[in-house]
Amino acid sequence: MSLRYTIHPIHKNPVPKDIASGSLKAKKPNLQGSKDILRTLDQRKLEDSILRWLGEGIAGILRATRTVNFQDVEEIRLRIAKPLLLAGRREFFLDERGAVVPPEKGYKVRREDIFQALERMTQSSLYAAEEEMRQGFITLPGGHRVGMTGEAMLKKGEIQSLKHISALNIRLAKAIPGIGEKILANLIRRDGSLYHTLIISPPRGGKTTLLRDLIRRISEGSEILKLQGQTVGVVDERKELAGMWQGVPAYDLGCRTDVLDGCPKRIGITMLVRSMAPQVVAVDELGHTEDGEAVLDALRTGVKILSTAHASTLEEALGRPSLKELFAQGTFERVVILSRRQGPGTIEEIVDLEKFRKSGMGKVGM
Amino acid sequence: MIWAGAFLLIISCGGLGLYMASRIRKRPEELRACLTALTLLDTEITWGVTPLPEAFGILRERTEKPWALFFGELEERLQKGEGAYEAWNDTIAQQMKSFCLKPEDWQVIKDVGKGLGRSDRQEQHKQIELVKQQLTIIREDASEWAGKQAKMWSYLGFLGGIAGVLFLI
Repeated sequence: MSLRYTIHPIHKNPVPKDIASGSLKAKKPNLQGSKDILRTLDQRKLEDSILRWLGEGIAGILRATRTVNFQDVEEIRLRIAKPLLLAGRREFFLDERGAVVPPEKGYKVRREDIFQALERMTQSSLYAAEEEMRQGFITLPGGHRVGMTGEAMLKKGEIQSLKHISALNIRLAKAIPGIGEKILANLIRRDGSLYHTLIISPPRGGKTTLLRDLIRRISEGSEILKLQGQTVGVVDERKELAGMWQGVPAYDLGCRTDVLDGCPKRIGITMLVRSMAPQVVAVDELGHTEDGEAVLDALRTGVKILSTAHASTLEEALGRPSLKELFAQGTFERVVILSRRQGPGTIEEIVDLEKFRKSGMGKVGM
Repeated sequence: MIWAGAFLLIISCGGLGLYMASRIRKRPEELRACLTALTLLDTEITWGVTPLPEAFGILRERTEKPWALFFGELEERLQKGEGAYEAWNDTIAQQMKSFCLKPEDWQVIKDVGKGLGRSDRQEQHKQIELVKQQLTIIREDASEWAGKQAKMWSYLGFLGGIAGVLFLI
């Protein structure tokens, strides 16, 4: 495992031929009567930011489709010999002309489609993404995340690389505008310092997105909240927060943020506290008991903790063995609970744990 | 007048012969440059884990004229988002004319493009190594062949010119 602080110059994104040459515009819109969705500029931008990473075949299908609004799509799934699937709150199988069809009539993804997509995503250098692929996903500039499965090559019980990649899951990154500020107001003390905060949600509930947003806001400060920017140290064990790819962060985490990329939290937290003197330490997915120990260690130096964990309710989180010690010590002061009730990133409640412990109720704001 | 014409014929035929000879001598040189470039590419991929566009950029700086243009073109194409295999083949088709290599040399060089950038480092290394071995064999043959051929052409030009003069007179 390599430990490195990564700040490097930004790459240029490859622009696919059709966009570069302007032939995209020349394509005749395939009108389908009242079902046609007029695309706003924002949608177009989102569409282009995704399509540039796909091979001609799949990109052509997605471009031709008029019935699916990209704003509603959360995932694009490519599986060899299985129909092309767009998933969000609803699922759409597409055929080769981009029409929504039942699964058995959908366009069957070919091996070549997956290769072409991988080629675009890695600048034709799959071998250079080995380190990232070991984690099972790569992050594209712009923050879209591509999960992949294939044949795992093992060495001494650890995954060395993935071979014969058979499925891609492109998870589209979408900002949830504005929620960070509203929440942050409930997470800071009068003196501007942060409460030790835990964000919990079920999978795909928007934990990481919210954490990222909070990191950026804390790091840059906020005029509305009269909050000064604070130094934030991020231990990005799963390479999700900064989305580092070849040393280039895909997300903006603010101007006072230091990212320790790909480092286990247990070592990383201690190392960051010692080396970069952060005021806030942010980590994703507290799961192991040893992560908890590292957090407790770090607390002694006076840093504030901002973290996330998998759990649907506060009770479930309180029952987690890995979090038990942290709760028992009274580490966390605020818990933000997210759900997918109204799409990812729905804020259920923000709980003041001190009040909660005294009275069983502790809802703050929102 | 006749003598002037005869002289001109001999000179032009001789010049043509010398030009052919120099082209033939260039082939082993270009093959050698290609081998060096492939070794460099292999190092960049296996040890440097450099992405291809960057790797081709390095090759462009480190190689001489026809190859520098070749790798420059590749770098540009990959940065535009083209696939490595297509880019490799298209660049060969486009730039073949500015090289002195034979079609059978290109056949081997084309193999580099197969699977380029589509697998892990070991696979890439194996593929490049294979091409390098084949090129080495070709180059050995080529330098022997080029020595003889070049000599032949440089004589043939002048002798052909003289023969033409004798025939015409």
